[in-house]
Formats: sequence, structure tokens, C-alpha cells
Amino acid sequence: MENISVIFLFLFILFLLLGTGVWVGLALMGVAWVGMELFTSRPVGDVMVTTIWSASSSWTLTALPLFIWMGEILYRTRLSEDMFRGLAPWMARLPGGLVHTNIVGCTVFAAVSGSSAATLTTVGKMSIPELRKRKYPETMVIGTLTGAATLGLMIPPSLTLIVYGVTINESITKLFFAGILPGLVLALMFMTYVAIYSKVSSKWQPNEEPRLSFAQKVKNSRFLLPVIALIVVVIGSMYLGYATATEAAAFGVIGGLVLAASQGSLNWQTFSASLMGATRTSAMIALILAGAAFLSLSMGFTGLPRGLANLIAELELSRFELLMVLLVFYIILGCFLDGISSVVLTMAVVEPMIVQAGIDLIWFGIFIVVVVEMAQITPPIGFNLFVMQGMTNHEMNFIAKSAIPMFLIMVLMVFVLIVFPDLATYLPENLRPGPGG
Amino acid sequence: MAALRQLRTGLDFLYRASGVLGAIFLIAILLLIVVQMLARWTGEVFPGAPDYAGYCMAAASFFAFANALHRGAHIRVSIVLNAVSKPVRRILEIWCFGIGAATAWYLSYYAYRFVYWSWKFNEVSQGQDASPLWIPQSSMVIGSVVLAIALTDHLIHVIVSGDHRIESDLVEQSHGE
Amino acid sequence: EKWDMPLAYSATNFHSATAAEFAKCITTGTGGAIEVVTHPSGSLFKGADIKRAIQTGQAPIGERLLSGHQNENAVFGVDSVPFLATSFDDASKLWKAAKPTMEKILDEQNLVLLYSVPWPPQGLYFKQEVNSVDDMEGIKFRSYNNATARLAELTGMLPVQIEAAEISQAFATGVADSMISSGATGYDRKVWESLTHFYEVDAWLPRNYIMINKDVWGGLDEASQNVIKGCAELAEYAGTWRAVEYTQFTLNGLRAGGMTVGPAGDQLKGQLQEVGEVMATEWLENAGDDGKAILDAYKAME
Ligand code: NA
Ligand code: NA
Repeated sequence: MENISVIFLFLFILFLLLGTGVWVGLALMGVAWVGMELFTSRPVGDVMVTTIWSASSSWTLTALPLFIWMGEILYRTRLSEDMFRGLAPWMARLPGGLVHTNIVGCTVFAAVSGSSAATLTTVGKMSIPELRKRKYPETMVIGTLTGAATLGLMIPPSLTLIVYGVTINESITKLFFAGILPGLVLALMFMTYVAIYSKVSSKWQPNEEPRLSFAQKVKNSRFLLPVIALIVVVIGSMYLGYATATEAAAFGVIGGLVLAASQGSLNWQTFSASLMGATRTSAMIALILAGAAFLSLSMGFTGLPRGLANLIAELELSRFELLMVLLVFYIILGCFLDGISSVVLTMAVVEPMIVQAGIDLIWFGIFIVVVVEMAQITPPIGFNLFVMQGMTNHEMNFIAKSAIPMFLIMVLMVFVLIVFPDLATYLPENLRPGPGG
Repeated sequence: MAALRQLRTGLDFLYRASGVLGAIFLIAILLLIVVQMLARWTGEVFPGAPDYAGYCMAAASFFAFANALHRGAHIRVSIVLNAVSKPVRRILEIWCFGIGAATAWYLSYYAYRFVYWSWKFNEVSQGQDASPLWIPQSSMVIGSVVLAIALTDHLIHVIVSGDHRIESDLVEQSHGE
Repeated sequence: EKWDMPLAYSATNFHSATAAEFAKCITTGTGGAIEVVTHPSGSLFKGADIKRAIQTGQAPIGERLLSGHQNENAVFGVDSVPFLATSFDDASKLWKAAKPTMEKILDEQNLVLLYSVPWPPQGLYFKQEVNSVDDMEGIKFRSYNNATARLAELTGMLPVQIEAAEISQAFATGVADSMISSGATGYDRKVWESLTHFYEVDAWLPRNYIMINKDVWGGLDEASQNVIKGCAELAEYAGTWRAVEYTQFTLNGLRAGGMTVGPAGDQLKGQLQEVGEVMATEWLENAGDDGKAILDAYKAME
């Protein structure tokens, strides 16, 4: 029962600090500090710095700023126009028409960017005006884009997976490959929904697209080549063993710069903007990670994670029941907290529980990504909602409502993952041996 | 007044400069990784490259903390802040910046002690770089101090003029997601 | 009183299991006056931080790989001089010879040595059959510290630094083709998915050691100190026994995984011995008088 009061104390201070608007990273440090002061006689300041230095100077973390930088560079190129022009001719004849460019565009951009919001802005910049021109239902245009952009978190590279991997000390390359198939399946589920909606809804009356010959379609696709080349280089170099995740990120940055230069969109202004943007974003995540490392240490001293893991063991929840509890828990948490914070905040407690329950940590990474994806589109705090609001001036309510079907599809995706765990575990377990053997 | 204005310019320059320094370390990470890869392919050896990259990671983060704060990149939950009236918000902001500044100064002090002892004990890295640790660890002290100064700066600004000087930038914040 | 005890390795590792029993022994022996709680898997402090954390009182007691600190003082690397002590018996002798010096150095660092348990002997993993040092030319070799990097250099291999978490991945993708490690590491990481040969060269037996903060130790009454000393002796014995058992178990595991496991051929063995002598000389240069004292004491036991 002592555990319960400790939990409530942690939660109370945490919500007090977070709720009043203290920056997440600093709030985590504050909670950790209080916990240590109350429950141990150890020198808190020294412990704090030891942990923070060790968490901040980690080699595995270097993949993070590089992938952010790569995304920042591409975000500032002509990629969105090119992508729409290249994809649209192929999508036009599908049931659901050009709305699919939203989903496929997000899937493609997700493969070069680790961020969901950047995916949203890049794809949305071009597709929203074009889709509106053709009179597609606004809820579908907005909803699919808001939802599909979250694929940026699942299809590698993924900032969420890097943070998760660093937190639980798992191979980032493996996590990346675990995300590929579930990401594609999720994209297909979104597309299926669009196709069905287009057949049954009376609101679906978009303008007819002019028919293009196959040759013309292929010709238009040349715009896609540079970005596909980049995807092949980044993911291929990891898969074939030429590069670790960090090294693949370095390829990505250089490839992004070359791509931008070849388009003529690389100048000092875009270079420094992308660099400074990446520096700040990665510093933001680093501060949260530093705070979380200290908090997890502080909780370790209180014995809370172990206590909870034992409690779960005593409850004798089945794996499925545990996952359902966690699903609900993360959905609620995700309403109020950004994804990275909710991952790092909970892993100290959740990791022992899932290990106890015999759940594969790589698989659980993908589970976490799906729930974090949901968090992106649930009000009141959902970054994709914010970004979409900024882009379209729609009411937050309208955006959130139009994204509900996407949210439900993600919930369905959790069950798909539970029924077919191989979706996540097959690729990482079968990485091809490199040219060395 | 002139002195105050100079202080203002000086502080803003400090945040920007330390942000640029952080960016330079980000470029250093890129270079280190590339050189290490080239070394591997050509059969050369670059001992300690991952350790150096780790130090650059820490430097890139710590140096950029203040700049990220100043440009509104650090994530905070602002539902309550946005919902309350202006006077209440001012009090809340004082609380936030107060806690933030206190935390950052606390971190700075202990980071300083940490590095001082590393220097005094002549602590060396356990990796292949075997470098004296106080050198890379200094970035933690400098970065935390600049962050603490920035938070204090904003705190004073909220108290005196009623609002902080953070340029909120949703795009910046959201790119971490 | 509650003592948090950071451990770097996972709970199922035999070192952690030994430490857990040691902890329980203290708790029982002191009638619950001191409750020792172990924190495996680096969940409290990461391996590299544990020694400093105990020195400065951030944790009272903990475990660390001895040779992790050889950059700081070469004497800490005495257990990792290749081909100096190549069996459990020799490793025990070497440790006995080193103990007084080690206790003295740790004492200067505000630490008290409690016990030490060896890892299984280090062997060579390859993706191919290797019969002589010439066969090792140009192979990408996973190094994790300066000594293993030097070993690679002396045998003409290319050291590549790979973090423990990335080992399986590095072999699967050809970033590395070889490493020196115990059978246990290879077994835990299922390296048979990418590697084919394990040579039991018994290069050295690395040790973990358990230390306690000197102020904490000094603050105990004699009865508690005796309980802890007794538990430590028991743990060292039990841990070493586990290491022996585990060695055989993991070698069988590697075999079952399809690897060729066996001793190195005479030619390779001889060449490696020469490499070992070069490294021992180099180690002595760095380890100075303390190092010489240990080696002299060790040789006197033979
Ligand atoms: Na992505
Ligand atoms: Na949300």
C-alpha cells in the first residue's frame, strides 16, 4: 500500500508541474528531485548530474539530430509539389481518387522524415489546395491527412522509435525494420477506408480527372525519383548492413543536401534554417530525455517500478488484458501529453511489467508507436491537430472530428498487431547478412 | 537605460551564439560519423569515434537549450495557460519561469561540481578515446548556465513587464513529433 | 537501512544472480538491519557510472567490470592481459596475487573491495575457419576497449568499435566478422545466426568486482562488517562455481546452435602466446611498480 501513496505523490507533483505549463524536461527533473529528496538519503544533485550526463552523451542518441536535420532539409525543398505531381496520375483511377495522394504521399515522406508534423506540413502544403480545387469532401481531405501523417512516426526513420530504443537500450536498426510492415499495413487500412467511403457516401462528388496514358503517368513519375532514391539509400544501407542507423542518418543528411542542391533550393538561408531548426528540435528532445533519465533513476530508488511489476504479476493479467489496460492508459495519457514525453515518462515503470509478462520489446515498440500516433490526433493536445489548424484555419473540433475514423483504424491496428505479431517481428529477425558474409 | 539596452543585446547575442555553437557540434557529429564510415571502408581505424560523437551530442544539446527556449521549441502543456485571464497567467508564468530557473541553476551548480571533481580526480573516459572527461563535460556546465540565465532573464521580464519574450513557434515544437 | 545496489548486467546473468544472493545474505545476516536491494541491467546507474557513484556516495554498494577502469589505472586491467592466466585456477591465483594492490588502490579512492567473480574464459569468434594469425589478416574485429583494439592490431585485424546492444546486428550485417568474448556472450546474443567458429583460446578471464563506499563501511559496527565479509566470501565461491558451470553450458549451447566449437590449433595457439607476451610487456610499462608487484607475486605461486 506504500506504493499507492508514492504513486499518487509522483502523479500529483507531475500533473501540477506539467499542468501549470512548466517545460516537460524541467518538470520531469523537478518531480524526480522531490522523489529522491523524500525517499532516499543519497546526494540528489550529484546523482542527477551523473544520470543526465550519461543520458545526454550517448552515442546511440546521435541518430536523432541527424534524422531531424534530414527531415528539416527536405521540408524546405520542392518535394511536396514534386510528390503530388508524381503520385496524382497513379491515384486518380482508384476508388477514392486523389485522396489517396494524401496517404501515399505521407507514406513516402514518412520514409525520409522521422516526424509526423513535418510529414503533415510537407504533404499538406500541396495536396490540400489541389484536393479542394477538385471538390473532394473537406472532412476526408483533412481527416485522412491528419491521420496518415502519423505514419511519419512508424515508417523508419522515426524519432519516437529512436527515443524508445535509447530508453530501453534496444537496437534502433531493429526497431526501424519492425516499423516497416505495420506502417504499410496501416497505410493500406487508411486507403481501404477511403475507397469504401467513396463508394457509400453521397457527399462524394469530386471532379473527374482527365485520363492520362500510361506513358504520361510514367513520365510524371520522374518527379518521384529523387526521393525514392533517397529512401533506397537510407533504408537500403541499413538493411544491407553498410550502415548503422546513425550512419544511415548521415547518408540521409548528405542525400537531402544533394537533393536540395539539385533542385536549386539549397542556399545559405535554407541551409542555416534547417540546421538551426534541427539543433533546436533535437535540444528540445534531449532536455526531455535528460529529465526522463533522472526521473527513471529516482523511481528506481523508490522501488516503484518493481513494485508495480510485482503487482501486475500478482493480478495475473493475461498478456492481452495487460495490453488492453496499457492501450486505454496510453490513449488517455496521449490526450494530454506529446508522444515522446509519454514514452520516456512511462517506460521506467512499464518496461519491467511487459518483460514480466513476456512481451517482446521490439514488438512493444511498435505498439507504443501506434498509441503515440493516436495521441497526435486526439484533443486537447495533439500536435497534428495544432499543425493542421495552423495550415487550414479550421476549428480544432472540426479537425479532430474528421480524424475520428483514422483514430478508430489505429485502434483496429493494435488488434491486428496482437493477432499478427510477425508483422512487427519478422523483418528485424531476418535482416539480411551483409556483403561480408 | 543605455546599460540595460546593452545588457539586453548582450544576452540575446549569448543565446544566439550558444545556439550556433550547438549547431556546429551537430555538424561535427555528421563529420565524425562520415569519417568513421570512410575509415571502415578503407581499412583504416578511427579509435574512439563513437565516444567523440557522444560528446558532440551532449554539446549540441546543452549549448542549444537556451536558444531552443528563446525560440519556443521546448514543449510545455499550455492548456491552462491559454485558458486563464491575463493576471492569472502572469502569476502562472512567474511560477513556471521560477521553477525552471531554480531547476536550471541547481543543475548548473551540480554540473559544475561534477566537472570539477572529474578534473580534480583526473577522470578519464572508459572508452577507446580515453580522453580526460572534464573537457567534454564542460559543455554541460556552460549550457546549463546559459539556460539558467535565459530562464532568469524571462522570469525578470515577466515580473517587470508582465510577459516573457519567448517567440512561440508551433512549427518548431511540432517537428519533434 | 536500505542499500540500493546498482548492477550493470541483466537479472538473469549469473553475476547478477550471485549479487542478488549476496544481498539476501546480508539482509538475513543483519536481521534486516541492512536491506540490500539490487538494481540489475544498469537500471539505476549505467556500468560506466557505477564506480564513481559509489565513490561519491550516490550509491553505497555496487558491481562493476574491473577492466572497465584500465584507462584510469592500468592495474585494473590485470585480469585482461591476454594469455597470462588462462584457466579458472590460474585466474584465481592471479586475483589472489593482485588483491592486496587492488585493495590499496581502491582504498585511496574511498572504496572497499568485497569480492570478485570471473567471467567465463574469452575465446575467439569468427565467420570462417582460422588456423593461424595469417588467416586473421584484415578481418573486421569487434573491439570494446584499448586492449582488444591492440589485440586486433597485433594480429593484423581491423578493430571496429561496437556497442554491446548492437553486437548481433553488427555481425548480421557484416559490420564486424569477429570478436573476442566468452561463450556466454555469444550464447546470449545467438551469434550462430551469423558466426560459425568459436576457438577456446582462454585468452583471459575478466572479472567483476563488488565494492562498497569506505565511509559507509567505516560506519558499520564490527558485527555487520563480519556478516558482510562472510557473505562476500560465500558469494565469491558460489559465483566462481557458477562461472565454471556456465562456461560448459554456453559452449554446448553454441554447438547446438551449429557452431564449430573447440580449442585452437597449435600454430594459432603459439602465435597468440607471442602476441600475449608483447601485450604483457606493454601492460607492465603502463602498470608500473604495482603491476610488477602483482606479476612477481603471481609467478611466485606457480
Ligand atoms: Na518516418
Ligand atoms: Na493527443
